[in-house]
Amino acid sequence: MDTPLNQIERLGRQDNPFDPEFPDADLDRVAALAPFKDMDPESFPKKQPLRTILRCDTRLRRFQRGEIIVRAGDYGSSAFMIVSGDVRVVLPPGLPDRVLGRREPAKRSVFRAVAQLWANHRNPEVRTPEELGGGGADAEIGSRVFLQDVPRLIGNNKTVTLGAGEFFGEIAALSRMPRTATILCDSDEAELLEIRWQGLRDILKSDPALRAHIDALYRKNTLSNALRSFPIFQHLDEEQLAQVAAQTQFGTYGEYDWSGDYKKLAKAGTNSVDKETVIAQEGDYPDGVIFIRSGFGRLSKRFGSGQRTLNYLGAGRWFGLREIAHNWREPGAAVPFQFSLRVIGYTHTLFVPTRVMEQIVLPGAPNALLPRPLTPDELDIDDDDPLKEQGGFAQRIGPELMEFLTGRRIFNGTATMVIDLARCTRCDDCVRACAATHDNNPRFLRQGPVSSGIQVAQSCMHCVDPVCMIGCPTGAIHRDASAGDVVINQATCIGCTSCANNCPYDAIRMVEARDPGGDFVTDKESRPILKATKCDHCIDQYGGPACERACPHDALKRMDMTRLDTFATWLHR
Amino acid sequence: MMRTTVKRRLSGVLLLVAAVATLFWGHRQLVPVMRHLAYLSGWLLLAVCLFLTAYNARKKLPFLPLGSSRTWLQLHAYVGYFSLALFFAHTGWRWPTGVFEAALASLYLAVAASGVAGLVWSRIVPRRLTARGCEALYERIPAIRRKLAEDAEAMALASVAATRSTAVADFYKVHLAGFFRRPMNGWRHLAEVRSPRMRIEARIADLDRFLDPDQRKVLKELAVLVAQKDSLDYQRSLQLSLKLWLFVHIPLTYSLLILTALHVVLVFAFSGGTEAN
Repeated sequence: MDTPLNQIERLGRQDNPFDPEFPDADLDRVAALAPFKDMDPESFPKKQPLRTILRCDTRLRRFQRGEIIVRAGDYGSSAFMIVSGDVRVVLPPGLPDRVLGRREPAKRSVFRAVAQLWANHRNPEVRTPEELGGGGADAEIGSRVFLQDVPRLIGNNKTVTLGAGEFFGEIAALSRMPRTATILCDSDEAELLEIRWQGLRDILKSDPALRAHIDALYRKNTLSNALRSFPIFQHLDEEQLAQVAAQTQFGTYGEYDWSGDYKKLAKAGTNSVDKETVIAQEGDYPDGVIFIRSGFGRLSKRFGSGQRTLNYLGAGRWFGLREIAHNWREPGAAVPFQFSLRVIGYTHTLFVPTRVMEQIVLPGAPNALLPRPLTPDELDIDDDDPLKEQGGFAQRIGPELMEFLTGRRIFNGTATMVIDLARCTRCDDCVRACAATHDNNPRFLRQGPVSSGIQVAQSCMHCVDPVCMIGCPTGAIHRDASAGDVVINQATCIGCTSCANNCPYDAIRMVEARDPGGDFVTDKESRPILKATKCDHCIDQYGGPACERACPHDALKRMDMTRLDTFATWLHR
Repeated sequence: MMRTTVKRRLSGVLLLVAAVATLFWGHRQLVPVMRHLAYLSGWLLLAVCLFLTAYNARKKLPFLPLGSSRTWLQLHAYVGYFSLALFFAHTGWRWPTGVFEAALASLYLAVAASGVAGLVWSRIVPRRLTARGCEALYERIPAIRRKLAEDAEAMALASVAATRSTAVADFYKVHLAGFFRRPMNGWRHLAEVRSPRMRIEARIADLDRFLDPDQRKVLKELAVLVAQKDSLDYQRSLQLSLKLWLFVHIPLTYSLLILTALHVVLVFAFSGGTEAN
């Protein structure tokens, strides 16, 4: 019997391999390479042996001299292992965007944009056959960019060459952060094994040796640059920086997949500061400066019997420098940590001990880089109002809203939909605009938690740390390489609901797909085919997010919550 | 430092005043030299009205980069105020004598008045809704109301068995069943009159003194539902008012455009070949 048109095969992870045509011979060759050949097959789960991971989550790619492999600033969902040839890492500040061939995400043509007036489907959630049929690899290889006259382009930029057997790109892939350096092919031809982050994660889970190896690589290749990105280290010479790097300790706090615990606690109403792991405690001796590499920390101060949130610190921020600089300048009037730092979610830190700071970093630091010493007034701040000390935006935002943003982890969003309810007339023009630009399907709900008259709507926030991506077996939910927005590839979404369950903000909804005729699409057992849907930040539309542009009363804003100063200004506009 | 909103409003008002002053000055200068100045002011008024109507078209095209709705609304409001000045310049500050012209002028003033009222209302109501709390999507209000009614009824019925008394259930039947069944006090909520809720609360307080602790507990829970239902009615009433004013403003606008088109035809039909100076 013929299969009805609206009945399709239900897709699984194996149905969306990174390379749908990965030849067995190549797979054998990869499996015979170090470190895979040295891995213990018994340490992998029976359901997912190493060979299956390699088949499903890796692909071999060949590059030619001068060809860009990864670009600094792009979001990547994969790491690379060099099989043969050399690659060159261009260290920061790196090459300009013009040279890197960076392009804006593709927009619809003007005709297609206007055609939305009449071409949108009448039925909800219609998918084209291409969107239903599975699309193979999610990460587009895209157009290749070659650099001509590499030595001239690189100019004064420092570079590092990596050879066969070395890994790169794993930090960006695993921490859901942008790539920190541009890497290009440095031999006539280089063969690279690209590993989807899901596969890398699964391998690291079963093989601690590879994890240790990757940490060692990080210390060797990246740590100095990571340190250099913090202003306080910028005056150090190479030797001094190497000394600091050698004594820097890595810290990892919280759960990689933190959303599950958070959702449970939030549901039970027991999500509180006390449940968070303390990285540094107010009143303790400042034994080192903590630099946040990725993730977030909550800066708090004792207030009454609890903790009042003063700020949250994201990647690129630090904790404890002011106290250590103060004690170094005034050894007779040493002060302890003035605040506490707690982990929220999953946080990577770099810890530079006080001794190293005092001996190597602080002595040569220009005055402009040294934080000013703590004044008696600042030290006298008691429980009355710790926000006074923070001054500026924290005070302008107010304690209630600060607690709300931190407690609900809204700080994670780079495009959080905030609605000023004192201006919002509940006209739903935003919802209609969203529907009109998404084939008549609104991609957010104008509802959500409220604090101090500010509502955070149930819309994808395009998080700094998108935990929704963690469980996706096919990589269908991914970051757009240039814009950094989190988007879902409908062709590779298998409807497993993992992203919707992981999203701490309930911003992803599973919908039952229909074919262009309006009929529900089902699998062979007549169960509906589900697809994950969410806000795509109007990535392919002109003029930015339609919701924001549609608000007549300046009540709705897509806000980067990592910039609290911008938020404070918007609140008091 | 001056807030951006204040700065924007101040600039808008200053620009408006300057535009209106220029209009009246220019009109005064042209009156003695231009015999049919009304043609010029009429066409200008029509152009302004078409621009004002274009805002609705902008709303239908969210996928085109036509500027933000916020900017459009600002322009809509200030150009709307300017159109009033233009209207009076066009009519020469006289009320038209003919029936058709009087109807046209009335319609214009109705559109302007509904616009101004809507703008003022849309500035007041969101603050009131936010201050009251119990935020609810308008479309979901009937479902929430139904749930509250079911909960209240179940609570009252359960109290009979639990407390071996019909006091609370009787009170529910007489005083609360109707309150929970449908939206209540719509106009009073608009006018911020709180007496209906206070009346129910007073009745609850009256009954409370006759009850034992178990019954009191049920009554207290019912009082919470009453407060929720009252807030829900408040939300419904105010949100509905925000939606309905557009159903006044927009149809009036289109009626005005139709009458204006007729007005243009009539003016040219009965102008008797008068030449514009």
